Amino acid sequence: MSLIASTPANNSLLSSGMESERTLYPYVTGTSVIGIKYKDGILMAADMGGSYGSTLRYKSVERLKSIGKHSLLGASGEISDFQEILRYLDELILYDNMWDDGNSLGPKEVHNYLTRVMYNRRNKFNPLWNSLVLGGVKNGQKYLGMVSMIGVHFEDNHVATGFGNHLARPILRDEWHENMSFEDAVKLLEKCMRVLLYRDRSAINKLQIAKITEEEVTISQPYSLKTFWGYSAFQNPTKGAEGSW
Amino acid sequence: MFRNQYDTDVTTWSPAGRLFQVEYAMEAVKQGSAAIGIRSKTHVVLASVNKANSELSSHQKKIFKVDDHIGIAIAGLTADGRVLSRYLRSECINHSFTYESPLPVGRLVVQLADKAQVCTQRSWKRPYGVGLLVAGLDESGAHLYYNCPSGNYFEYQAFAIGSRSQAAKTYLECKFETFMSSSKEDLIRDVLFAIKETLQGDKLTSSICTVSVVGVGEPFHIMDQKTIQELIESFEIKEGEAADHGVVPDRTPEAAPMDI
Repeated sequence: MSLIASTPANNSLLSSGMESERTLYPYVTGTSVIGIKYKDGILMAADMGGSYGSTLRYKSVERLKSIGKHSLLGASGEISDFQEILRYLDELILYDNMWDDGNSLGPKEVHNYLTRVMYNRRNKFNPLWNSLVLGGVKNGQKYLGMVSMIGVHFEDNHVATGFGNHLARPILRDEWHENMSFEDAVKLLEKCMRVLLYRDRSAINKLQIAKITEEEVTISQPYSLKTFWGYSAFQNPTKGAEGSW
Repeated sequence: MFRNQYDTDVTTWSPAGRLFQVEYAMEAVKQGSAAIGIRSKTHVVLASVNKANSELSSHQKKIFKVDDHIGIAIAGLTADGRVLSRYLRSECINHSFTYESPLPVGRLVVQLADKAQVCTQRSWKRPYGVGLLVAGLDESGAHLYYNCPSGNYFEYQAFAIGSRSQAAKTYLECKFETFMSSSKEDLIRDVLFAIKETLQGDKLTSSICTVSVVGVGEPFHIMDQKTIQELIESFEIKEGEAADHGVVPDRTPEAAPMDI
């Protein structure tokens, strides 16, 4: 954000309007991403909403992308920064493939590369305003990790970003277990996404679930969850507080 | 090799299409004391002959650890070798820092070869006068590479460089087909025998050689002198028996084992 309207007298320390530009606020943002390990690999879920402040402006934003042969990346936060990260990773994977030598970057390597990028930007006070979920399988080893916009990173069996940390992870802590089947894992993710849909105002009812196993990556077509609004308490909402609305 | 008018600059081709400075650099490798490497599916063993300037001085260090999973043995200008090993260590640690994962040895070798090639194409530089045997592990198993001053690199099952390395190569050529499935102990034994070939008359003791190992589940390390001496002694006893069975072929010098 450069101070285009400022007069020369104000920025005498900075010549010719060369103000340093850095991210101060996010503009178009995505909400939570959830990731879990299951029997054959990793499952991730994210909705397709891109909010412009409080307006749900974009409703077909793909926030889950595959990286190379072995990894899946999900992002919440500033969408344009996510696109920038995808460009960095594209170049990384391209150079990796150009070696053409049978070695390839696995999810652990991509996760650590992203950590370095995010932390470096944070140190320059110009962060990439994202929380990233990175999952994948390589040589039978499942990997699931998270990186925040300030470079905090860790691995776990289940991770979530944003509101997902508060609403989804408690459910996952109770109900996740090792070697869940694909169907059970999808049910669990949908349960978490449904809670987020009810309670997170930036969530929309259009989501994608992505799966990565040793053999392949699939990102589902967008679909909606069934919701139920017929609770009796909704019939006369002001019953307990006359006069309110 | 004769002195001629095309060998002053590394950037001058000869009419026969040769770069003499590069070839002279490869001569420097041949003058250094021997270094030998052998690999199996899971392990790589490097050994070098220790040359000391005089009895008063210590010997030159020729085997360097580059990372937990990579080590090198050098022959030629050891100063150049030291500088290159610093470069290799730096590359490995930078990769580990960014990716939390060991640099595949095949990629390190290519980076080293590209660095060597630069010196063959700049008029203000000279080629590195050192040959490196690079031993390392990556996802596809154990590897042994040889990096030339010319910027070429080759992968080997077994190789020897430096002075009198031809004798070692001859020994290795007989046995190389068995190396892939050899155990670590067999590899060490074979590398010690190969070192002995290059000594041609001098007695093989642990003070005259250095041996290092890297393998799956075993980080790169240089074996200590006492263990080497014990191994030499146990192998020499066995060699006395094996010579009767013709395991060691007749091309090797026919000295009785204990007389060497």
